[in-house]
Amino acid sequence: MEPNGTQNVLIVGVGGQGVILASDILGVVCMNRGYQVKKSEVHGMAKRGGVVYSHVRYGAQVLSPTIEPGTSDVLLAFEPAEALRWSKYVKPGGTIIVNSRKRIPPAACQDRRMDAPTRYPQGIEQALRGQVGDVRQFDAEELAVEIGDHRMCNTVLLGALSSVCEFELQDWLGAIAASVKPKTVERNQKAFLAGRNAQFAAMRDSLPSEKCEMSRSVTCLDAPEIAIHDSWCKGCEICVVVCPQACLKMNERNRAEVVKAEACIRCMLCEWMCPDLAVRVQ
Amino acid sequence: MFDFREYLRMEMFPHMLCPGCGHGIVLGALLRAIHSLKLTKDEIVVVSGIGCSSRLAGYVDFNTLHTTHGRPLAFATGIKLARPELTVIVITGDGDGLSIGGNHLIHAARRNVGLTCLLLNNQIYGMTGGQFAPTTQIGRVSTTSPKGQYETPFDSCKLAEAAGASFVARGITYEPSALEKLIVAAIENKGFSFLEVASDCPEFFGRFNKLGNPADQILMQKQNVVDVEAAAALPAERLRGKMLTGILHHEPRPEYGAVYAESVA
Ligand code: SF4
Ligand code: SF4
Ligand code: SF4
Repeated sequence: MEPNGTQNVLIVGVGGQGVILASDILGVVCMNRGYQVKKSEVHGMAKRGGVVYSHVRYGAQVLSPTIEPGTSDVLLAFEPAEALRWSKYVKPGGTIIVNSRKRIPPAACQDRRMDAPTRYPQGIEQALRGQVGDVRQFDAEELAVEIGDHRMCNTVLLGALSSVCEFELQDWLGAIAASVKPKTVERNQKAFLAGRNAQFAAMRDSLPSEKCEMSRSVTCLDAPEIAIHDSWCKGCEICVVVCPQACLKMNERNRAEVVKAEACIRCMLCEWMCPDLAVRVQ
Repeated sequence: MFDFREYLRMEMFPHMLCPGCGHGIVLGALLRAIHSLKLTKDEIVVVSGIGCSSRLAGYVDFNTLHTTHGRPLAFATGIKLARPELTVIVITGDGDGLSIGGNHLIHAARRNVGLTCLLLNNQIYGMTGGQFAPTTQIGRVSTTSPKGQYETPFDSCKLAEAAGASFVARGITYEPSALEKLIVAAIENKGFSFLEVASDCPEFFGRFNKLGNPADQILMQKQNVVDVEAAAALPAERLRGKMLTGILHHEPRPEYGAVYAESVA
């Protein structure tokens, strides 16, 4: 954070990837939290696969709508070469989250012979790491395709962004529901969670567990285990209501029961909000 | 991997709090905070007074002391002076800590004794059947205010700050992860740390005031609060009737025990 407490998030990609929608959702999350938000974007060449970027700045009071080079807390790049293009905007100690899926622009394919090398830059990840210590690269599109819609790539990336932001999960899910077409809310939320979980899982794997602040709230990709201590549960229903994945329900004895463990994203809300310490998620 | 059961007196469970009582959520957050601070069980003393919130001391496997009504801070001050190396955490409620024990609170804050005071505010005396407390909001129904309470309630955070607490914060049970972080920050502060936690009493406060089931009540909390950092930028009318959450005041100053030790050395 800058001395005045403004957070800078730079979201970049190429036309059609959904940069603007992602930044709009971030804006809604910030506003709902009561922050002032300013956004500034360029999407002129968007339809032709041109550069699209969106500066998002939020805090108690935001003066300028644009981010100065070297001051962005987070760079969220939808494309590796775009990450490289914008990396000088990231502040020392900042974070770059980058989708590893390349979009090779026509200008890089001027040599038209079969199998001719493109002019797409090589060694991007190393170059990024040379500039900023915290680079998190992953294949967001693969996760989106798994969910059944490659267009959800932007929400997957937003999920990854959420893993380094201060906001609560509910705030994000609410903002997504308010910002996308009603038909796609569920899919978008799923995509968001996939991105978020992938980041948490990676964070957990890269840090010794006792050092990792997130280690408890981390989501793993292996099957989660949700244990409900039946004789401690008093049937208050809080866990059922707060679970974003509807994994739990009340049974006929008015005790909580796990009905959809496979959908669990290990958000931990059920464990943390059970007043009777009757839920344990592993 | 964190397992809260390591910190519990398992034979005491299930606990005696009513279904959906917010105090249990605070207990979970406290255990996670202690775990993340890597404190051993023997380094911690939990002191409590009388009331539903104070029952929490009985469930944790630390050094614990369940004291007299309103007096946990007085006992805790003694413990801290005798064994300054221990982390002393006081769990009290709005009745215990602000009414019967109000005087102890302001003096512990004034002296900046190195204690962490968690005041679980559910706006009611739960254990004795739902009488209104010094924090009950105007208009709220209780056994002793069937037509609505009309006394001006305390803002306990302002009170603690004015009395001299070096760390003052407020959390809510709706945000268990933020609450955990506030508890960590409170314990890390060397002097007197005061943390009010807005908790729920579905059994009396919720039922008398027709606030719905425990889950409804916990979701409702979100509407009553604004984060202190966000509040700085909001116009006054959006803050009317809202409580501020987060770290409200942090101004480290010499801790009482240290000053005392020096003066008698
Ligand atoms: S951790 Fe609990 S609340 Fe979160 S998705 Fe899993 S079952 Fe639901
Ligand atoms: S939150 Fe806990 S006590 Fe309440 S229904 Fe769920 S498991 Fe039972
Ligand atoms: S009476 Fe209220 S505060 Fe006491 S245990 Fe029951 S719900 Fe909790």
